[in-house]
Amino acid sequence: MLGIDLGSRTVKIVLMKNREIMACSLYDTIRFYRQFSRSSRGKLQLDFNGLNLDPETEMVATGYGKIAVTIAGAQKIPEIQAHAFGALFQSRCENFTLLDIGGQDTKVIQVQKGDIVDFATNDRCAAGSGRYLENMASVLEINWEQLSSYDQNPVELNATCAIFGETELIARIVEGHPTSHLAAGVNYAVFKRVAPLLKKLYSDTIILSGGGALNPALVRMIREETGCQVLPIKEPRLNGAIGCCVWGQGWK
Amino acid sequence: MKKIGFTTSIPVEIIYAAGQVPVDLNNLFINSSRALFMLDLAEEAGYPRNTCGWIKGLYTAALETDIQGVIAVMQGDCSNTQALMETLQMQGREIIPFAYPYDRDPEMLRLYVEKLMAYFSVNWDQVLQAKKDLDQIRQHCRELDRLTWQENVVTGAENHYFLVSSSDFLGQPQTYEQEIKACIQMAREREPNLDEVRLAYMGVPPIFTNLYESIEAMGARIVYNEVQHQFSMPHSSDHILDQYLAYTYPYGAFARLKDILPELEKRNVDGIIHYTQTFCFRQIEDIIYRSHIKKPFLTLEGDKPGKVDARTRMRLESFVNMLKMRGKGR
Ligand code: SF4
Repeated sequence: MLGIDLGSRTVKIVLMKNREIMACSLYDTIRFYRQFSRSSRGKLQLDFNGLNLDPETEMVATGYGKIAVTIAGAQKIPEIQAHAFGALFQSRCENFTLLDIGGQDTKVIQVQKGDIVDFATNDRCAAGSGRYLENMASVLEINWEQLSSYDQNPVELNATCAIFGETELIARIVEGHPTSHLAAGVNYAVFKRVAPLLKKLYSDTIILSGGGALNPALVRMIREETGCQVLPIKEPRLNGAIGCCVWGQGWK
Repeated sequence: MKKIGFTTSIPVEIIYAAGQVPVDLNNLFINSSRALFMLDLAEEAGYPRNTCGWIKGLYTAALETDIQGVIAVMQGDCSNTQALMETLQMQGREIIPFAYPYDRDPEMLRLYVEKLMAYFSVNWDQVLQAKKDLDQIRQHCRELDRLTWQENVVTGAENHYFLVSSSDFLGQPQTYEQEIKACIQMAREREPNLDEVRLAYMGVPPIFTNLYESIEAMGARIVYNEVQHQFSMPHSSDHILDQYLAYTYPYGAFARLKDILPELEKRNVDGIIHYTQTFCFRQIEDIIYRSHIKKPFLTLEGDKPGKVDARTRMRLESFVNMLKMRGKGR
């Protein structure tokens, strides 16, 4: 079973057999569309050779929403379902709130007794998403790992817009704050943006997925500020694609 | 016959009694193939980008149509009405003020209604006669609505179209009556829909042009259109004053909830879609509806006229899917 998550920044492909991940790959979204697919009759035909995939494998795809295409030969499921299934499978937990911080959007999904009971998605812009974190890291001239390690003494930042956030951050740099406080401020700004959603869709267990899960400073902030337990999952970035496979194989 | 424009339901009986033709500018705007362009025209005239799309469409519609004047509902509709009317006045349109009293005071309403009647030089007998005529047609609206939720043979789109058009009866009550009767007859021959998911739609009418069709393609159906249902004056009353007091839309979120909550039960809906317009003050009222309605609730937002955008579609699909899987185990 192939699971494909067409994210806004990266495309994730996972091959699963009997509930085990056999292979996985990640592509830059633009490169994926340019090199490994072409559209014909309104559908996307995948270049199985180039992608090193067996065209006979069953496919389930998600994330098509933003670009409004369907992959020829694939079943499609909504992103919320794909992510919830991925988290159910990876965590073996039945009651949780999933926070997915992706390249350009954020999703919060509340799951109770294994069913999705509510969800929320971010506004139409990329504020507070992976794109924001990346942009801010480059303003601070540090890499993603460095940015993700600071959570102490956050400088106050209000704009989480991937563009306007820059202006605000530069103003703080001018004020002379150390990089560690500035980086913590960036992480805290992301937390502040999702905090109301976590409160609204409350569970005492929070699962993080997407690129945001790879930010330990953010994880610590969420744990400390919400008092909830934050459960790690093994493959946060592949979660949606895994969810596709799990769905395709029929849960249980 | 003179045409009179309006921007939210008003006692149309008065206009018909005066032998004039009411024109709901909302319907004119949204049904136009130039809707998006009409919005651009308003922006060119100086309307800010961060103003509700309906207001901009109404502005252009009011200028482009050969209407005698526009009825301005200064209380009980939209916080943008005053500026809209002032800009129309600046362009030489005649403005006829009307208002729904915020506290639902019957005496105040009587005064406003009588003022409107005086403007059109009609008396109570004429108005009540017009009401009688329209009530005949409103009977069909009730039947169509019943066929929607009880017999399950009318689509959400049909329900929306006929009820939203009952604000002005398309300016041609006879034509409207023929159309709705034909739809009812056709629907009666259908097999009932075995809906997997039954939804309620609340809020102002959608600026999306294919919302109902999209939802139906996902295996769900809208069995309750809240505001549109109100437009059709669903509760019979002998006097138009009672009718426009029972009408909930102008009297705020709590008045609307009193109507909504029992309807949700009666129609056995699985989930609610609350449509809000970008930049509309009613987005704030979402807080109230969410806290009072204890059913799965999805808030949608639309900005410009056109098809359902990809993000909204994703959210809708997820919502419908969530309702389908609910409690069914995995
Ligand atoms: S959607 Fe809101 S802001 Fe727009 S016209 Fe209607 S009430 Fe006014």
